[in-house]
Amino acid sequence: MALIDLKGIYTAYEGGDKAVIKNLSLHVDQGEYVVIGGPNSAGKTTLLESMNGLVKITHGSASVCGLDVSRSADEVRKRVGYVIQNFYFDPFTPFTVEQVVMMGRFGRLGLLKQPSKQDYEAADRAIRRVGIEDLVHKTIGTLSGGQQQKTMIAHNLAKEPEVMMLDEPFSNLDFHAREYLQGVFKDLVRDGIPTLIVAHAFDGLPDIPIHLVVMNSGTITYDMNCTAGEVEDIIRKECKVNGRCSSR
Amino acid sequence: MLEPLIPNNVVCHALEAMIFVSIACSILGVIISRMALSSIGFTMSHAAFAGAAIGMFVGGNAQAAAIAFSMGVAALIGPISDKAKMAADATLGVLFAMSMAVAVFLISYMEYMGRGLSASALLFGDVISLYREEIYALAAVCGLSIIFVLAFYKEISAIMFNMKIAEAAGIRVKLVYYILLFIIALSVALSLNIVGGLLIFVLLVTPASIASQFCFNVKSMFVVAPVVALLVSIFGVWAGFEFTLPVAPLVALLLTAVFALSVMLSFKRRINTKIH
Ligand SMILES: Nc1ncnc2c1ncn2[C@@H]1O[C@H](COP(=O)(O)OP(=O)(O)OP(=O)(O)O)[C@@H](O)[C@H]1O
Ligand SMILES: [Mg+2]
Repeated sequence: MALIDLKGIYTAYEGGDKAVIKNLSLHVDQGEYVVIGGPNSAGKTTLLESMNGLVKITHGSASVCGLDVSRSADEVRKRVGYVIQNFYFDPFTPFTVEQVVMMGRFGRLGLLKQPSKQDYEAADRAIRRVGIEDLVHKTIGTLSGGQQQKTMIAHNLAKEPEVMMLDEPFSNLDFHAREYLQGVFKDLVRDGIPTLIVAHAFDGLPDIPIHLVVMNSGTITYDMNCTAGEVEDIIRKECKVNGRCSSR
Repeated sequence: MLEPLIPNNVVCHALEAMIFVSIACSILGVIISRMALSSIGFTMSHAAFAGAAIGMFVGGNAQAAAIAFSMGVAALIGPISDKAKMAADATLGVLFAMSMAVAVFLISYMEYMGRGLSASALLFGDVISLYREEIYALAAVCGLSIIFVLAFYKEISAIMFNMKIAEAAGIRVKLVYYILLFIIALSVALSLNIVGGLLIFVLLVTPASIASQFCFNVKSMFVVAPVVALLVSIFGVWAGFEFTLPVAPLVALLLTAVFALSVMLSFKRRINTKIH
């Protein structure tokens, strides 16, 4: 079943001088492990945000989890996990890791509903899955960058999403944590949940078929299955052919 | 409501008013301080001021006009910030300037026409001569603030944590944020008569700041801030009448003193160099 189906979408930012995503089509099925690569400013983050309705799609059709993204963005976001690329929590942020993970459930719970035992259990599972049990009572702003990253991943796992998107989730993580989380994502994929990962480094990719998407200047220039070992070479080649690897 | 306990009507009304105002403002103040919205105090007090001037100008009820105009301004804060792509704080600045301009314009004009306008009640507040209806309105606003925070606690806490992450989680951020701004603005507008535009700021910001000295957690801040505000207000009303001092400024000064004390006593700045 196609969980993501984009047909010729365009995306532009308010006040921007041109479209950032141009005539882009993408099809992702259940249980796919998708790696999205490409140079800085290619539009990877914008693509993820178009798919969950955080950025408006101006033309084309986009369906995620069987829903029209333009029409039911709120509903899509309840079902899609999205770990954002950049976040900063000041040291005085008055929320504990436990509370932040629990917030992952709040959207799908809906207005005026209180968390139930089920919600607490889901949050607890996510915390254990990511291995941050010892941090639950710490306030998030006092954690290291990698610990915060893990907390945000747990926040999205707690949501029990139908699609998982992660924007450079490994940027702050040590090699042990990277390997460990790759295992977590591999499990998600095995459970049928398509997992889309934007990345710039490709060591430790799992040993499963990889749906590789390479973006250049707002469009997809490569969209095929490959193995973990081939990813880096294909991206290098793609960027060279399209001549934009170190543009700006 | 407290008549059976306090025989003196004036003291009783003043106490009731201060209780409701301090609870509402301090609870909302926790949200306001976290989200850097404290200029909402200035903006709403001047919106009420402008509304009163309009009311006087058209020869209607100044108080009703003050509330109506403030509610109008309150409803505009969210949508303007969105449309203009500005931080709510900048919108509050623009609306503050607009309100001030309307008020000054009308007051100058009326003076020119030989009709005066007394603004002192709105600027300084007045806990002595309160009508029963005003107390009821304050009780309603206090109740509304508490109910709102309890009912939308999930959403409010997520928004206070991080707007973008709350939105990505599928929370209806815009809806809750607009209601939030509106309720804050409404509470401020209704509290103005009691404590005045100059002191409302203290009630919005100081109890939350005191709470933040001791609380690591937003839940406890929502409890500590109103409790502190309530205790200080009750003491302030008592001391004000006992020693014939102006009540609202006294409460403001007492809160500031408690804040100073809490900064000195806060264990948050303790540095722990334990090795094991
Ligand atoms: N809020 C915004 N307003 C206007 N333009 C934007 C905005 N966000 C991104 N852009 C533009 O869109 C283009 C794509 O940005 P995007 O963040 O999607 O790139 P990316 O592929 O994720 O890059 P990186 O690898 O650096 O994260 C860039 O040219 C950027 O300047
Ligand atoms: Mg990016």
